[in-house]
Amino acid sequence: MGSKPKPTPPSDAEKASASVAKAEYDYFKKNYDPLLQQMRDESMSGDNASKLRGRSNADTMQALTSQPSYQATQNVQNAGDVGQALQGQLGLANANAAKIQNQMQSNVLGTARGQAADAQSGMAEAARLQTSQALERARGKQQVSAAKMSAAAQIGGAALAQGISNMQTTGLKTPTSGVGPPQQVKGSFFSPVNAQGQKVSGLGNRINYSGFFGPGSSV
Amino acid sequence: MSDLIEVSDPDKVYADITRGEYEDYVKNYRAFEEEMLEKAQNDTSLIDQAREDSKAATKLSKGIAARSASRYGAQLTPAQLEAQKNALRTANTLGSIQAVADAKIAQKEANQGLLSDLINIGQGVNRSSQNQLGSAAANATARKNAYEQAKAQHKAQTYATIGSLGAAAIMAFAF
Repeated sequence: MGSKPKPTPPSDAEKASASVAKAEYDYFKKNYDPLLQQMRDESMSGDNASKLRGRSNADTMQALTSQPSYQATQNVQNAGDVGQALQGQLGLANANAAKIQNQMQSNVLGTARGQAADAQSGMAEAARLQTSQALERARGKQQVSAAKMSAAAQIGGAALAQGISNMQTTGLKTPTSGVGPPQQVKGSFFSPVNAQGQKVSGLGNRINYSGFFGPGSSV
Repeated sequence: MSDLIEVSDPDKVYADITRGEYEDYVKNYRAFEEEMLEKAQNDTSLIDQAREDSKAATKLSKGIAARSASRYGAQLTPAQLEAQKNALRTANTLGSIQAVADAKIAQKEANQGLLSDLINIGQGVNRSSQNQLGSAAANATARKNAYEQAKAQHKAQTYATIGSLGAAAIMAFAF
């Protein structure tokens, strides 16, 4: 019989691997997670739109009003052209700013969602580990149960065989009066009889009778 | 000297991290995502901005023309002033119509682009969820199968025990 089984401790490699992974995760959470949140906040601000609109305005003014002249002041169409050009340029700036903002926001969300997806698959992995542990436990219990049953069967079988063997023993017993022929005596399930027809009872007699420590059949 | 912290129960740490990551997403990005979904379907900021810009551009170009004229001491005749006013009004109206029309196209393009990005992200999330659910279902099936198998083994063991007891009895009686 062996000693009771103990849970297998993690190997050095397993411990080191888990420790490094945890340290890397902590580092990531400390240094990279805030960056993503910062990017999220930036993507929601109107900074890009303001910069692009400023640039568009400057470009328009640079192109249409950087060389003023007397002749230009006499051109009645000029003011309308500047206004129209400015509207067009600002529209382009707005569209580009919206494109940049949408791109930034979807990048942030994609990354965040990617991390959440990793978390989900991690959960599935953790659940898988839990399941395999549960299965191992169930299998272990099943093995113990089978071993108990088998031991009981062996003991029961041996006892039954011995009991029946005991019943089959016979001996010739001299009548207590000393008169008459010896009478045949049969053993019972729990006690055999020796050749003299005496019941074998008590631990010492039974050991002697079984011959476990050498021949002998005394009562 | 390394400052690594020993992880004695990686299973639990793993579960804690994965749960924490999901909670982190809910806390920091769920509202952001919902805002984006709303924006991708109903945003009109480009069109609104184009309307505002039209008004501002008219005022601005009027001011430019006035400053330029005063810089050269130029005087426009009433007829020229009227022509300039008309030209400005026409340019503004046409410019405004064009700017708003362009903004509508740009808005639609921006919203559709954002929506398609979001749908792609959503598809990824959906795929992960399906995989996770599939994995959970497979685990549950494996557990159920193992239980059924264990039950069958137990029954077989019981019959084998009864059989061996019976066989022992028969053999004992026979001899």
